[in-house]
Amino acid sequence: MSAPTRTLCLWCPDWPVVAARITEAAPAAGPVVVLTRQRVLAASADARAEGVRIGQRWREAEAACPGVVVLDADPAGEVRAFEPLVRAVEVVTPRVVIDRPGLLAFPTRGPSRYHGGDGGLIEHLRTTIQATGPVDLRLGIADGEFAARLAARRGVVIPAAETPAFLAPWPIAAVGDDDLADLLARLGVRTLGAFAALPAASVLARFGRMGLTAHRLARGEDAHPRALTTPPPDFEERVEFDPPAERVDEAAFAAKGLADRLLDRLAARGLACTQVIVEAETEHGDTLARAWRHEGALTPGALAERVRWQLDGWLQTTGGLSGGLTVVRLRPEQVIPATGRQLGFWGGDAAAADRAERVFARLQGLLGPEQVVTAVPQGGRMPIERVRWVAWGEPREPAPGAPVGPTAGPVAVEVPPWPGAIPGPAPARVFVTPVPAELIDAQGRSVVVTARGDHHGVPARLRCPVVPGGEGAVTAWAGPWAQDVRWWDRAGRVRRVAWQVVIDGDLACLVEMARGVATVVAVYD
Amino acid sequence: MAAHPESVTLPRRDEHARAQLAAVGAARAPLVLARDRTLTVPGPLGAVIPTLTRGTVVAVGGRLGAGATSTALGLAAAATAAGEWAALVDGSGSLGALAAAEGGVDLARFVVVRDVPRERWATVVAALLDGVSVVIAEMPRGVRPADARRLLARARERSAVLVALAADVRAWPVEAGMRIVAAGGVWSGLGEGDGTLAARVGHWTVSDRGHAPRVVGRRVG
Repeated sequence: MSAPTRTLCLWCPDWPVVAARITEAAPAAGPVVVLTRQRVLAASADARAEGVRIGQRWREAEAACPGVVVLDADPAGEVRAFEPLVRAVEVVTPRVVIDRPGLLAFPTRGPSRYHGGDGGLIEHLRTTIQATGPVDLRLGIADGEFAARLAARRGVVIPAAETPAFLAPWPIAAVGDDDLADLLARLGVRTLGAFAALPAASVLARFGRMGLTAHRLARGEDAHPRALTTPPPDFEERVEFDPPAERVDEAAFAAKGLADRLLDRLAARGLACTQVIVEAETEHGDTLARAWRHEGALTPGALAERVRWQLDGWLQTTGGLSGGLTVVRLRPEQVIPATGRQLGFWGGDAAAADRAERVFARLQGLLGPEQVVTAVPQGGRMPIERVRWVAWGEPREPAPGAPVGPTAGPVAVEVPPWPGAIPGPAPARVFVTPVPAELIDAQGRSVVVTARGDHHGVPARLRCPVVPGGEGAVTAWAGPWAQDVRWWDRAGRVRRVAWQVVIDGDLACLVEMARGVATVVAVYD
Repeated sequence: MAAHPESVTLPRRDEHARAQLAAVGAARAPLVLARDRTLTVPGPLGAVIPTLTRGTVVAVGGRLGAGATSTALGLAAAATAAGEWAALVDGSGSLGALAAAEGGVDLARFVVVRDVPRERWATVVAALLDGVSVVIAEMPRGVRPADARRLLARARERSAVLVALAADVRAWPVEAGMRIVAAGGVWSGLGEGDGTLAARVGHWTVSDRGHAPRVVGRRVG
């Protein structure tokens, strides 16, 4: 068995916060938290000192640290901000592997010898990177990527062959698999050392493949035996752009198809991909390449996301690309046997989903990605605010900042009750451009609503193109319901009122009035 | 000692294996049961139109506000309730997705295609019929009979249901398995300045092939 590769790991703590400060999305000083799905993803040191914790909910974080600046996670921006650091490291070694923005690793064999040992390499790297700008850096060297990452947390260099001794006292939660760590802790296995002492065969028998992978890590070995991870040759997917792509969304759409094709081909050989090289060529013949790694196996969505971040990073940072992209290539660098895909019996469900997905991807190619959409419910008062349209293939999540319930899963998003929402059944026709209308009282005067929400006149007739004949009698109505939307925001504030009206007994509409202008915004069809 | 019977070599390719399994399955159950050819419509609309036959066209019509859109969405719910996919070609860009969800459609398996150019409408609908069980297509003005016949054939071939939605049910120019005209109905719950919209008693005129048109009324919403 070959010993794990000696690896250097570079870690920038709280990278989402640091990146937000670099891109000037956040102020340079003061507490900052970055959220993903309404939970804290990263917090600045002063916010943590006030009691903000990773994984906390937004409200709890704000309660713990009043006045904290709250931002939504921006993975593409994090990659952009990380790009100069990666380029600085690439001066030292070409074999950089990015785990996620803020965390990268590379094998030290060559560079370490060149710079006179691990200490020299770390010194050199630190000065090279600090020259690009002041960043909080943690560097660590150990045998294997997992140990190197833990060494980077402490900022230490672990001498060769002492890695198992370094790993032994770490708590079991360090393996990264929360369920497994929890179970092991309850069984009395509290440290990596105690876990490593168990016989591998028993671990496999009791905890399955995931357990075995964690056990290999705890023993200081690579997560997967090296012999299994070299991909067969010729697994390369490429896409050419003519004319060269200059916008991120063009390239990103192509990246999605590329990722799907690559993983499909690998899956046909029973393989999943854990490390991939993204290569791009520009119209001037420059070639850029960057390796991305993923814990576990890359899904098509995760791979496409990484390709998009990388292309975005290259296209948006100055000095990245000399011109438009002409070719994008994906090359798997590390593969593992795929274990987790189960087709339905008789090829049922999964085959139907595959077929549907192929059709949608084809239509996106024909009409543009934004024209094939699915709906995600979210909180809001008017019907048009309560739905977000998401392009097919994008994550089905409500708009950033829109509140969702605690059970925000991938399929059903539970929206909590929304005070002020229009009651009753949802209208089946919601006009993106509201239809101009006029509400008239029995005397033929327009119904008027004052700034305080009081109305003068009882609606008797509605004049609007949606009504057959252009005008009809109001037979039943309720309202006006006054809404003062975003009153705290001077620019975005809207004051409006809404009525539900039924015309001639069977045409139900939702009428809105803002700034004295009435419109029909929805029809209950 | 008896020799161990030589193990049967299984085909290695997935498609192969699946084709063999399908062949075995077909040999075991050679009949196509009626229930395999239909989709059950869930919810209140199920009392009006209990099932949809796969491979047919359903024309749905009715003026704005009469309930044609909800009716079509109720038919799409038949597909998502069975774990299959549904799609809508939105000509006017005004679909209220929450109404779809309230009509029983699982939004995660419901895709809307917007801004389809007039000349690509037939291509897009045909492509959707390839992979989706129920396709609601809002019809542009003047669909040519030749295109309609091609879509009808595609639906039959793929065992999909095409719901042709237009203000006038006769806008679908060729034969249809079923024609449904939503005729509106009285809304309840709303008073003179009080209450909220609650429900309506809907009326539909349903004409199946081989049956006289019948009028059905049902409380929905």
